[in-house]
Amino acid sequence: MTDTSALLNRLVNDIGGAQAGPIEQVEHQLEPWEKRCHALADVLDFHKIINTEEKRRGVESLGEVAIGKLTYYERWIAAFANILFQKAILTPTELARQMDLVASRSTSDEVRSNDPAVRSG
Amino acid sequence: MSFSSAKKLIGPEEIRRQIEVLDSRTPALGAQVVVKAWLDPTFRARLLTDGRAACEELGISFYDDTRLIVLENTDKVHNLIVCTLCSCYPRPVLGLPPDWYKLKPYRARAVIEPRAVLAEFGTHIPDDVEIRVSDSTAMVRYLVLPLRPEGTEAYTEAQLAALVTRDTMIGVVRATIPRPQRTSL
Repeated sequence: MTDTSALLNRLVNDIGGAQAGPIEQVEHQLEPWEKRCHALADVLDFHKIINTEEKRRGVESLGEVAIGKLTYYERWIAAFANILFQKAILTPTELARQMDLVASRSTSDEVRSNDPAVRSG
Repeated sequence: MSFSSAKKLIGPEEIRRQIEVLDSRTPALGAQVVVKAWLDPTFRARLLTDGRAACEELGISFYDDTRLIVLENTDKVHNLIVCTLCSCYPRPVLGLPPDWYKLKPYRARAVIEPRAVLAEFGTHIPDDVEIRVSDSTAMVRYLVLPLRPEGTEAYTEAQLAALVTRDTMIGVVRATIPRPQRTSL
């Protein structure tokens, strides 16, 4: 295949039959946020807000560089945000506000855990 | 998710409940299905006809909208499952897939050089055995029904289930009797 036809015929996820290195039999226990992300995907699917195909396309449209660098669930969560923006279910402003709120919550948690009065030991 | 509580699209309770569902799904469920198929030919026939309905008979619910095709290994055919596009996997019966299943080397190579891939898992399939690779989709998932190892005729269900690991149901290894530990003198 010429480079042009390869680019036109295959989206970035479409790697069946491609050259690749040896299989490293890696696995890991999901982090709590990863499991929440997975459960969120399922719930969005149950409510017919984002289905499996939309999720895959959402990941593909992050582009090859981001796909290569983000972890599996980072790709998912970024794709969900983009899809929800596209569907006008959520606006970037709403998400940004909420992220600020969550960030401020974890900052106040940090302050508390650094407070000798509440530190254990 | 707060956007959900603000907009009432989904509730945090639903996420928590789904985490419990995810936690309840492990390869032990798949092993239960395989052992039942090994021991009960009529169940095996139903399982091969409609994997989902047969699993539901055993009380294994499908929380997603997927079909399950069970692929029977025989003396002449060895099956392997993959998802070349992403990470589709028979989650209701096996739980979540291992990382290697979702990474490029396995997804890219399983469909073009399955024997080499299997060899990397220490599985050597004789040349006269056909290897069939099934590529999962959003709607159709596969589960391998491994061959019951010889010499297990007297095994209890629990002993059989211990031979049916996740990887035997993906098809990257065969179900085998563990070799007796050699004692060194």
